[in-house]
Amino acid sequence: MRFFVITFIVLILVLFSVSTILPKKEKQVYTDDELRATALSRDLSSIPESYEELLALVDTPENRLSKEKIALGKDLYFDTILSKDRDISCATCHVLMKEKRKVYSEMLTSETNDKTDCVICHLSDQSGTDRFVTAVGHNQQENPFHLNTLTTLNAALAKYQTWDGSVNSVEEQVGASIQDPYQMNLSAAEVEQRLMVESGYLKRFETVFDELNFVNVQKAIAAYLKTLLTRSDYDRFLDGDNSAMSKLAKKGLANFINFGCKGCHTGVTVGGQSIQKFPLRDYNSLIDVTNSFNESEKGREVSGFTFNVQMYHPFPFENTGGYMGKDGEQLFRVPILRNVTKTSPYFHNGTVEKLREAIFLMGKHQLGMSFTETQIDEIEAFLKALEGDIVDYNVTDEEGT
Amino acid sequence: MKAVHMKIYIIFMFLSGILQLSFFNLDWEYFRMVQAVHILSSAFVAVVLLIPYVNRHTYEYMIVKKVNSISGVMLGLTLFLIILSGFYLFLVGNPGSDKLGILSYYIHLFGSFVLLFLLFLHIRKRVDSSKASLVAAILMFSAIYPGNAYSDTAEKLTLIEIEKDLDRYHNEDWTSSAKCKSCHEDIFNQWADSNHRHLVGTNPYYMVMENLASEDMGEEFRQWCMGCHNPSAVTTMQTRTTHDMDGNNMPNILFESGGQSLVDALKVHGNTRLEQGVSCITCHRITKVESKGNASYTLDLTNRKKYVFEESNTDVARWLSEKFINANPTAHKESYSKEIYKESAYCASCHDEFLPDSKRAVVSTFKEWEKSPYNNPKDKTKHKSCIDCHMTYMKDGKFSPLKGTSTTGGVIKEDVKVHYFSGANHFLSGLRNKTNEDQTIQLLKTSAELDIDIKDGQIIVGVKNVGAGHHLPTGASDFRELWLDVTLKDADSNTVFSSGKLNDKGNIGSDARKFMKVFGDENAKPVGLLFWRYKILLSDTRIPAKERREEVFSLPHAENLKYPLKLEVKLNFRIYPQWITDIVKRAYPQLPDPPVVLLEESQKEFK
Repeated sequence: MRFFVITFIVLILVLFSVSTILPKKEKQVYTDDELRATALSRDLSSIPESYEELLALVDTPENRLSKEKIALGKDLYFDTILSKDRDISCATCHVLMKEKRKVYSEMLTSETNDKTDCVICHLSDQSGTDRFVTAVGHNQQENPFHLNTLTTLNAALAKYQTWDGSVNSVEEQVGASIQDPYQMNLSAAEVEQRLMVESGYLKRFETVFDELNFVNVQKAIAAYLKTLLTRSDYDRFLDGDNSAMSKLAKKGLANFINFGCKGCHTGVTVGGQSIQKFPLRDYNSLIDVTNSFNESEKGREVSGFTFNVQMYHPFPFENTGGYMGKDGEQLFRVPILRNVTKTSPYFHNGTVEKLREAIFLMGKHQLGMSFTETQIDEIEAFLKALEGDIVDYNVTDEEGT
Repeated sequence: MKAVHMKIYIIFMFLSGILQLSFFNLDWEYFRMVQAVHILSSAFVAVVLLIPYVNRHTYEYMIVKKVNSISGVMLGLTLFLIILSGFYLFLVGNPGSDKLGILSYYIHLFGSFVLLFLLFLHIRKRVDSSKASLVAAILMFSAIYPGNAYSDTAEKLTLIEIEKDLDRYHNEDWTSSAKCKSCHEDIFNQWADSNHRHLVGTNPYYMVMENLASEDMGEEFRQWCMGCHNPSAVTTMQTRTTHDMDGNNMPNILFESGGQSLVDALKVHGNTRLEQGVSCITCHRITKVESKGNASYTLDLTNRKKYVFEESNTDVARWLSEKFINANPTAHKESYSKEIYKESAYCASCHDEFLPDSKRAVVSTFKEWEKSPYNNPKDKTKHKSCIDCHMTYMKDGKFSPLKGTSTTGGVIKEDVKVHYFSGANHFLSGLRNKTNEDQTIQLLKTSAELDIDIKDGQIIVGVKNVGAGHHLPTGASDFRELWLDVTLKDADSNTVFSSGKLNDKGNIGSDARKFMKVFGDENAKPVGLLFWRYKILLSDTRIPAKERREEVFSLPHAENLKYPLKLEVKLNFRIYPQWITDIVKRAYPQLPDPPVVLLEESQKEFK
């Protein structure tokens, strides 16, 4: 009897102290140059700095880039003519400044003001998205699946577009967005008709392309989108500047590579190159022990050692909108992580507001890891280092043409 | 169930009880564990084991065997009292003012010694040593089991200093203020609608200014604002101040009262969401202050004494932690209250503001007070510190210290330091709560006195700063509007002279006599909203404490005036100029216009 009691106590003690007894093995420690070499060898690369390099990356035989074409696309991007009620341009939801100058104080004091109050503060973010939970389009309608607006920044470099990855090029995506009844709601024929009569466009189309048609509208806007690339501290680091990224961010990059994040968030865009299942791990069993040894509780869905008594939930967050991804199989295009700090809220239905929560959920559900606060700090710092400014390729005039 | 077990239980509870005495000065980590183990195990043992045993034992010996044991009866009675007082301490607690709580505490403390003495009288057998060592082993283990700790390392940005071994905090370190509400409800509610709560995302003027600062000076410059306005964001390495969203809409941030969004956030996200701005523990965990620059204070969030389960997010555990605190709140009080909190210098780290590069002072409220007659440490009757005016309850226009408690069921205090933080900004807190607005307006109206005269064709108005322990106005006194509204009517009731009227856009006319300072940039041009560009002081017409300022208006055609003349002078105050509100309304269209507040008024007839 006594033997069993003592064994039991020892066992309990060992169980409780297992986390302190186990050696804290550091993941592989890289020097800066090793880290760069590792990143580059794992298909991570930087955004080009010059127009020539840009062409090498994005130019296609179907849609040859030219300065005139890009300028035309830029004007179309900011023109509300492409929406049914002439009230929405691409830039309404994919918010960007047309001119490169400080506009905030100007907008606060100007007598005429056609901008909404949100845009006044958020225009200078240059995020290429609306920061809303869900997209709002024609006639103030919300997206029927409660989908979140994706950023146009770097989108042209992704292999797949939209949340389920069903679109394969930006050209195609431009056409889809214009015609979508919940977005700009304008048919191809109407677009052509309107542009024919609108001063200047016909002539410009004839110079750039041979004729004005919807396909060429798509190509022109796509050409502009291909120049909306951002360079960040991360790019400067990959290009050889060891001081560009902070120590913490470098640790984050090492984590990003070691933990397996880069397995999906890969390529020059750090994402957008494949379609994957989310969540990969399903924690709907009755007892959830994933967090038992984690030092902090996250206050979302499951925390610590708990009994899961709620309804079956397909996602680790509220299933607002009921969207289930490609073919209803919870397959999603891997999101682009460049500028992720500017594009909250997160996930397809925008129900996760904070980046740290998103990092934690991704670790838990895609990698089966409970990140510690330190690991989240590092990954967060790395994601901050992905935030960049739109590269000036000197192709369009300041004010457009 | 053997008698020997009961003895072990009682001795164990006695030991774990007396270990908590201040005499032993137990290390906090051990103390909190011993306390929790003592309370929880005693409650369990008493209900499940001890009481049934004593019942059976009493029945067996006193009724069946008819043994008459005085020590037994005494022991039973003492045990009963100790269990009763123990449960009272656990469930109701001893927060201070409760007589029964105090009584329970003493019964529980001294009764335990009596109990032990009676126990030794009652028994004459040896204690089973092997069992005792088992109990001791369990006790040891519970005491040394490590508690949770959150913070670790990264990088640092501003003048705020935190613990030497840390580089940053995490969200969980910043205990949400809503957590304090359950025991400090009155204080929480006062603060929740005060200006100290609304320094960031719920303050439209601040949000516009921070964005403007970042546009003018670069993204990094936000940290300069955030040092005092948003210390929780600065220390968790956030780069900007953000606001809440409610789906696709911005929640109604202007009229929300009682800190509802904070309370809701705590419910949904536990303590994992950061509360931006100045929260309860910002001020209550400052350990050191200096007046050497912006946000020159030292925070220490991690070395406070937390009771068991205080960090937990589940309701039961949180309820238990509150019980643990209430049972013996000394460590809690010591963790959140320091002597320096009563001194004026404490407020200086934020209420003296400097520009980051030149160290030029933008706001010097503390330094103004320091030179004023109110700073008189030698004569206590004349000495008045910040909290004597700004944290003292006002009634009918007079300071009338509030008698009451700062904790539900706490000690009755003669002068509860109210957390309305009445100052000048009646407007933003007034949109949420009329009591907060009323407290501030009462305070504002104690500040000045007017005297008026007409002599030699001149109107002479004297304004004396009688109430404020600093300049009038102070704070962001390049934005605050304090001015004279003068009307002179002749015998036919025609207005023959006026000054300080609002124009059709709601702005004060350029003829007005304003009490303010005007900042200029390096070219001596007024800086307007961009006050961080301040290089040269263009003018300063503020009124120092206890001083009188005279404004002279010369009357045109004085000799032709028809007597008797009727002079009416008002001292008006407006928290933000209309042109600034117009700017802020571009981004926050729901913002109402701040009203003009009449501070003093004087009328006189001249024959």
